[in-house]
Amino acid sequence: MIRELRFLLRDRAAMLWIALAFILSATAVTLGLAEVRQQQAELAEIDRLDRADRAQVLSEQSDWGGAAYSTFHLTSDPPSDFAFAALGQRDVSPWKHRIRMLALEGQIYETDATNPDFALTGRFDFAFVAALIAPLLLILLLFDLRSGERAAGRLELIEASGAGAKRVWRTRTILRVGGLAVALILPLWIGGAVAGTSVFTLLAAALAVTLYLAFWAWLSRTAGSAAHTGSVNLTILLGLWLLICAVIPAMLTQAIDGAVPLPDGGDIVLTQREAVNDAWDLPKDATMSAFLDRHPEWEAQSGIDRPFEWKWYYAFQQVGDQTVEPLSRAYREGRAERDRLVGFASLVSPATALQRGLERLAETDVRASLAYEARVRDYHARLRAWHYPNLFEDRDFSVKDADGLPAFDSGDAT
Amino acid sequence: MTIAAPAIVVDDLHVSRAGSPVLHGVSFEVPAGSVYALLGGNGAGKSTTLLTLLGFLQPSGGSARVLEHNVAADTAAVRQSVAYLPEAATLYPHLSAYENLDYFLDLAGAGVDQGAVDATLDRVALQAEARGRRMETYSKGMRQKVAIALALLRDTPVLLLDEPTSGLDPVAIDEFNALVRSLSDEGRTVLMVTHDVYGACQVADRIGLLRRGRMVGTFDAPEGARIDTETVHSAFTGRSAA
Ligand SMILES: Nc1ncnc2c1ncn2[C@@H]1O[C@H](COP(=O)(O)OP(=O)(O)OP(=O)(O)O)[C@@H](O)[C@H]1O
Ligand SMILES: [Mg+2]
Repeated sequence: MIRELRFLLRDRAAMLWIALAFILSATAVTLGLAEVRQQQAELAEIDRLDRADRAQVLSEQSDWGGAAYSTFHLTSDPPSDFAFAALGQRDVSPWKHRIRMLALEGQIYETDATNPDFALTGRFDFAFVAALIAPLLLILLLFDLRSGERAAGRLELIEASGAGAKRVWRTRTILRVGGLAVALILPLWIGGAVAGTSVFTLLAAALAVTLYLAFWAWLSRTAGSAAHTGSVNLTILLGLWLLICAVIPAMLTQAIDGAVPLPDGGDIVLTQREAVNDAWDLPKDATMSAFLDRHPEWEAQSGIDRPFEWKWYYAFQQVGDQTVEPLSRAYREGRAERDRLVGFASLVSPATALQRGLERLAETDVRASLAYEARVRDYHARLRAWHYPNLFEDRDFSVKDADGLPAFDSGDAT
Repeated sequence: MTIAAPAIVVDDLHVSRAGSPVLHGVSFEVPAGSVYALLGGNGAGKSTTLLTLLGFLQPSGGSARVLEHNVAADTAAVRQSVAYLPEAATLYPHLSAYENLDYFLDLAGAGVDQGAVDATLDRVALQAEARGRRMETYSKGMRQKVAIALALLRDTPVLLLDEPTSGLDPVAIDEFNALVRSLSDEGRTVLMVTHDVYGACQVADRIGLLRRGRMVGTFDAPEGARIDTETVHSAFTGRSAA
């Protein structure tokens, strides 16, 4: 082992690939930390503005209906302490919404309509380096392990060397894989120390990366052969890399997207907008009875006598949400179903599995994104529950009472 | 010449490479402590014979034994007791002679002490000042000398040397021949492959002449004398002796 370690240290090409792995990992971790810090700073700034703006707006109100209409509330999904390693859904799904008492679904999906999927290949984060680039470097480290010795006329000399020769290939493989793993994981752990990641998370991530590299080492050993020339081995392994890291995931994604169609986020926004706009022209009773289906407790106060009343206005906002409920549910269930299928697919797609595993640890996966959406809905429901008594009981507005407005709990101190 | 138990026994050996037969029933014996030179033209099957003895190629017929170990079945034991000098021996160019020897001897599980290494490099006449330099700066003959030194330092009872003198200058060849004789005197068995009729006659106790995968002649050194170069040369080139 010591002998082979010294040998590896003198192998310039191998050390170059390992150094490159370190540089790429360190770069990805640094960029990830910067992105997370940027998101945190953005949230802190918005949070400050949000509070100031709300205080300002509330001070100008004369009734609860206007207050509910004009006050925005920041909801956010702050990055976890491991998000720097795998930004995952944070690149494609919103992690902040300023919402108000109006129909909610449109407010949630509005961002989707203006936010096309730009992260087709994924961002250059640690997960990307580990899942897609690391195998490439591993291939470069291992493809010519035996064929190179054969080409140099040393294969027989090594294998005829008796006792130690048997273990040579295994030891060389382990050291190269180990060196690559250390080069990848070290920057991750340093980044983790900076971000305050839990030791468990860092160990789990290291284990995942090591297992993934072990898979590739096994594949290189199985697919590459001393009987081939190095370039044949390299071609075979690069083909496998392309297959496993690009073709298979792309095919699986396409198959899954085809099997589970999603309603368009934009459709939800449009449908809701139409429902809300149409409500102005509908008989008020129609709106109110649809509203009362959900809120029979306001039956007694539901009479609308004037041409415009806030309670009617908010009732049709709520009915707007009710109208797109099936679409919105289909959208969420579709995303969850796709995610579940990707989970199955990752059993046959190790690159997907690693990326998913890291995103899970980083809480940047689809589950986390859906959970955040659920928290936003939850919060919006609390806002409604808080405002409805003011509106239906026709209470007088008071800035002081507005202090009791529910606050969104981001579940994390930013 | 004393009759010793054979260290190497090759019996009716048939070997094919890439589907075509290369050795067509080769038989010979190398007595322990003797020097045997396998002589033959390009493509005769000399290297193939050595590779088969080391278990890198499987016989399709016949058998071969080294120190009583069947080469096909007991490969590990054979490799343990044999030092092999490959035909185109290239050690690691980015390592020095010292580092290469250290690496390969450690690989073979042989203990090395620096004194023995230097003594052996002296024996093959590798310049002292070159020994710590990367081998990519060596000439062909210098590289060959280090490879020979490696085979010697393995300190095994049997040596299989494939064209050990290729790349060596005439002085170095003479020194090498003397070296091989002294190995034999130490009781080690040497099977060497060569094209060099003169050199073979200088060192060998017995010469086997291989032609297109068949043993076509055997020449023994008379008691207390060397094999006659003229006789072997004529047999090798196919011309009758004058
Ligand atoms: N790797 C190989 N694959 C297939 N056939 C081979 C291979 N190496 C050698 N041969 C064939 O085996 C035969 C014997 O080759 P071998 O290398 O044993 O000859 P040799 O006597 O050592 O010749 P030389 O003096 O040129 O080294 C030749 O006909 C050659 O074409
Ligand atoms: Mg040969």
